[in-house]
Order: sequence, then C-alpha cells, then structure tokens
Amino acid sequence: MNTATPPRWADAVLRVLLAPEDRQTVSGDLLEEYRESIHPARGRRRADLWYLIQVAGFAWRANRTWAGLLGGAFVARTAVDWLLPTADFHARSTVSTTVSAGIFVWAGLLAAWRTRSLRAGAVAGIATALIGAVISMVGAALLLAIWHDAPTFAAIDGSGGLGEVFTLPVMLVVPGALLGALGGLLGGTGRRLASHRH
Amino acid sequence: MAEVLGTFEQAVLLAVLRLRSGAYGRAILNDVSARLDRDVAAGAVHATLVRLEQKGLLSSEIGPGTEVRAGRPRRYYRLDPSGVRALNDAHAAVNTLWRGFKWPLKGHA
Repeated sequence: MNTATPPRWADAVLRVLLAPEDRQTVSGDLLEEYRESIHPARGRRRADLWYLIQVAGFAWRANRTWAGLLGGAFVARTAVDWLLPTADFHARSTVSTTVSAGIFVWAGLLAAWRTRSLRAGAVAGIATALIGAVISMVGAALLLAIWHDAPTFAAIDGSGGLGEVFTLPVMLVVPGALLGALGGLLGGTGRRLASHRH
Repeated sequence: MAEVLGTFEQAVLLAVLRLRSGAYGRAILNDVSARLDRDVAAGAVHATLVRLEQKGLLSSEIGPGTEVRAGRPRRYYRLDPSGVRALNDAHAAVNTLWRGFKWPLKGHA
C-alpha cells in the first residue's frame, strides 16, 4: 500500500476549511485519491502540487465572496485616487481601512460559525487577503491599461505610486489573519452560545 | 416544473445513480471527471453534493474508513425520490428544447 503523505500543513488547512461533519470524510477522499491515483501516476512533487491546488479550491470556494469584495474595494479606491486626485487622503484612507477590516472580521466570523473552529477565522482572513490581492492587482493592471496618460501618472505618483498599488494588498495578509482571527473568536463564541440556548 | 438542474448537478446526481452502493466522494469525483472529460476540483464536487443534499435530492450516511485513507470514514450518497424526479425533469426540459430539430444540426454554422 502506498503510504505517501501530502504536505501536513495543507492537510491541516483543508480540515480547518471544512465543517466538522465533512472534515474526516473529505480529507479521507483526497488522501485516498492522492495515494492511489495521483502519486503513482505523477510522482511526489506533482502529486503534492495537485493536493495544494485542491486545498486552494476549497479555500477559494469558502472565501471568494469576501475576497471579491476586498479586491473590488481596492480597485475602487485605486480608481478614485487616479481619476479624482486629492492632496488629503485621510477620509479615503479611513473608509478603505474600515471597509477592509470589516470584510476580514466578517469573513472570519462566518468561517468560524460554519466550521465551529476558531482557527478557521484566521485562515479565512489569510485566504481573503491573498485572493483579494490577486483581484486587486488584476484590476489595477486593467485600470492602467485603460488610463495611462500624463495626468493619470501624475495622480498615481501623488497617491503613493504604482509600487503601493501592487504591494499593499499583499501586505494585508498579516492584518487579515489577525482580524479574521478576531472574527473567528466572535463567530466561534456566538455559535457556542447559540448552541447552548438550543 | 421545479427548478431545472445545472449540467454539473446532473453529472453529480447521475454519478451517484451509476455508482449505486459505491457512491462516495472520491468515486463520484472520478466518475464526474470521466464523464465530463476534464479535471474536476474536489471542492466543486463537494460543494455540489452539500447543495444537493440541502435541497433534499440526496441523502448520505457514513461508512467505515480504509487503511489507505488512514482510517478516515467515507460518506456514501444515495439518490432520494426527489432527486430522481429532478433528473427526469432535467431530461424532459432538454427534450422539450430540442423538439423539432434533428441532431446533429447541419448547415447553419
């Protein structure tokens, strides 16, 4: 019997993403497929990659709504900064920060509620940040493809430059994890209280 | 007529029907991949199974695990009568759409 094992951390992430009633059965299905079909046919490295893609698929399905909102918020903020230049970014930054923090907390809360796992909140925050970053970068690239005249570049320079547009979303992984964990704490506690009532 | 099933939902339900007592996650994943002739994500099949079970078209029960699964149990699915009705409705809807045409279509491409 093939006893090859997929990356432990990926298996742990998968279990965190799943509801308790699916944790053993779904991870067992993936392990069985990995050992009996994928690993013998593709070898260790490509089998591990297959496993990671499967886990990423579960993360995408669980967090795409929040990631889409986060990415959309970033793209909207970028468009406003480029097309309606200003010298005072305080109000815009306050709105962006509040919206992003709210998305992370909400994503974490719902993930913990669904999976009954506090760790799910942090994982939801990280996944939301990573997927949102990709959406944001693609959106910014599209904006740049449409608007690339001199006034737009002046507005880009005045709002932090292109570097900030493409790196800031990725830097949200850590605050995303923390705020997602906070949401997870709220969701996990709420779920526990709700189940005690019933 | 009730809400018509999507193609992927039909593929999953037909896999459950085809596999009979062996309809568990991995077997369904492989059957759907083979029938659709493409790689299918386990997450997509899982999400569809959960949705179909919530709609009352499927039901499931836990079966024993095996050594290759590190003892993790299998969840076996079976079609409920409403699932059979939904598949019949989906087939009838396609037949209705195609009525009056001869397949394969010719000459209008």
